[in-house]
Amino acid sequence: MMGELIVRNLFHRPVRTFIGILAIAVEVSLVVLVVGLVTGLLAETAKRIEGVGADIVVQPPAASILLGFSGAPMPIKIADKLKELKYVQDVAPTLLQSNSAGGVEVIYGIDPESFRAVSGGFVFLAGHDFEGPNDILVDDWAARAKRLKVGDSYNLFNNDWHVAGIVEHGKGARVFVPIATLQDLIGAHDKASIFWIKCTRPEHTDDLMADIGRELPGYTVRPIKEMLSIYTSTNIPGLQIFIDAMIALAVSIGLLVIFLTMYTTVIERTRDIGVLKSLGANSPFIVRTLLMESALLCLAGIAAGVGLSYAARSVFLQIFPTLSIRITPEWILRAGVIALLGTVVGASYPAWVASKKDAVEALTFD
Amino acid sequence: MTIAATIPAPQVATQGADGRNTGKRSVEPILKTENLWKLYHAGRVEVPALRGVNFEVLPGESVAVMGPSGCGKSSLLYVIGGLAKASRGKVLVDGNDLTELSDAARTKLRRSKIGFVFQRFNLLPTLTAKGNIAIAQYIHGDGFDPHRFDVVTKMLGLGGRLSHKPSEMSGGEQQRVAIARAIINEPKILLADEPTGNLDTKNSEVVLQMLRQLNKDLGQTIVMITHNPEAVTNFDRVVHMRDGVIVDGVPAD
Repeated sequence: MMGELIVRNLFHRPVRTFIGILAIAVEVSLVVLVVGLVTGLLAETAKRIEGVGADIVVQPPAASILLGFSGAPMPIKIADKLKELKYVQDVAPTLLQSNSAGGVEVIYGIDPESFRAVSGGFVFLAGHDFEGPNDILVDDWAARAKRLKVGDSYNLFNNDWHVAGIVEHGKGARVFVPIATLQDLIGAHDKASIFWIKCTRPEHTDDLMADIGRELPGYTVRPIKEMLSIYTSTNIPGLQIFIDAMIALAVSIGLLVIFLTMYTTVIERTRDIGVLKSLGANSPFIVRTLLMESALLCLAGIAAGVGLSYAARSVFLQIFPTLSIRITPEWILRAGVIALLGTVVGASYPAWVASKKDAVEALTFD
Repeated sequence: MTIAATIPAPQVATQGADGRNTGKRSVEPILKTENLWKLYHAGRVEVPALRGVNFEVLPGESVAVMGPSGCGKSSLLYVIGGLAKASRGKVLVDGNDLTELSDAARTKLRRSKIGFVFQRFNLLPTLTAKGNIAIAQYIHGDGFDPHRFDVVTKMLGLGGRLSHKPSEMSGGEQQRVAIARAIINEPKILLADEPTGNLDTKNSEVVLQMLRQLNKDLGQTIVMITHNPEAVTNFDRVVHMRDGVIVDGVPAD
């Protein structure tokens, strides 16, 4: 009977119910998409770093884990020094430069030979490797996003590049240029941002790291596995705060809309509340009815929010193919629980107000 | 000095012509007020709605309360129904003094012993007629009793209208649903606040006939407030109120 009352109440004001569901759906999808975008980008970046195939990375002292923000303060000759160390199979010096035109991306300036030695080489989907100083390689995602094909001209850092090849994604960056050309363009002659090191055998990683630490004191030396594990939102400065702020914003939206929805509901149903009291309904009954109505509204909103999240992700990926948005069951569940708690909090005061209404005043309410 | 009038319940025969016990004599009143006061507050001013009402109703009795607007009829109904708390005095419903009870206890007592019928029907607009009646059973706590439901709805001629919402029913039909809702849990007392106030003559007569039938056939105790002198026909007693007190009490016939 209570279920019938709740469902019929929700259908009685379809527009208000729809707005409530929509608010919860936006709340849920905002949480799911923000977290999905952050974790997706981080995981995808980590996967690409792993795809380089190195066992160790060497960066300048106090280098950022955000590779593109480290500049190019290391002499490229360090590569020769590293190659002399025991257990080193290959070293690939790479110059990293951020490009913020049309979205933030990190461009790898590579030496094709050494990069191939460490990574095992690109898988070419079209075209060929560098043949000239202004040749550029783009991965398939970037090619789709930038609508590039082999032979096209592409302006980057005020230089017109020639798209020589489209490669399979997953080798560190999405765009690769010859290191010498990039050094000229950004004024970083004989400099590198990072050294990718391939060990003779993976189990030599620790020994080699110790050797590098002795040879290059103060430099940042990390095993690639550690690089991958630190690519989480809590390790990126400010990112977790951003996520928390977005979740708080989303919860606030849901909470306020539910509060307003249920508050207006209680006012509109003042006489009905009086009737229920005249029938002998006590305060817990009134509170329970309204909270259950809110919870049902919330559950519908959560379901809509999950659908909205997938729809929004589909749209985003159509517009921005290089984005990676991870929608996980864990975060759908978390977003649902957050929305449900927000709903209960938002509906509590209106429910309490309803339960405390004077029965006679409620019955004579117009 | 308390302005009060004590209207004792009339002593009538205990048995009807068929030998059935009518329960109308030498029994404890099902409802009794003693020096009942109800004060409302308008800012700092106390406005007395009831000023020392003494009033008794015996089990199975039908009593009509008449009086001009503002004389305290509705206040009396709300207080004896446990919807409002008395400011002073006693209200005994089936032996329980409402003035001694907490809000929760009064609610519980109202749930089991009182049925209300209002002038404006006060049906829940989102529920069907069936839902409006069944929710009273649900709140009562015994769950849906299909047998009782069938008996009541058939008696009130609601069989064909149960799936309709209030907005799809006439005033008379809505009031019959309200009566069904009020009596579905077999309350000790049925309190009716101007039950024909929003009805035309024909529907008024139907509703009054049903109330009479409930009283005569089932022995339902009824206290009805009304402005309509024709409505009190066949009620056991009519009492008049003025300025918060009962000023007389005579048999209607």
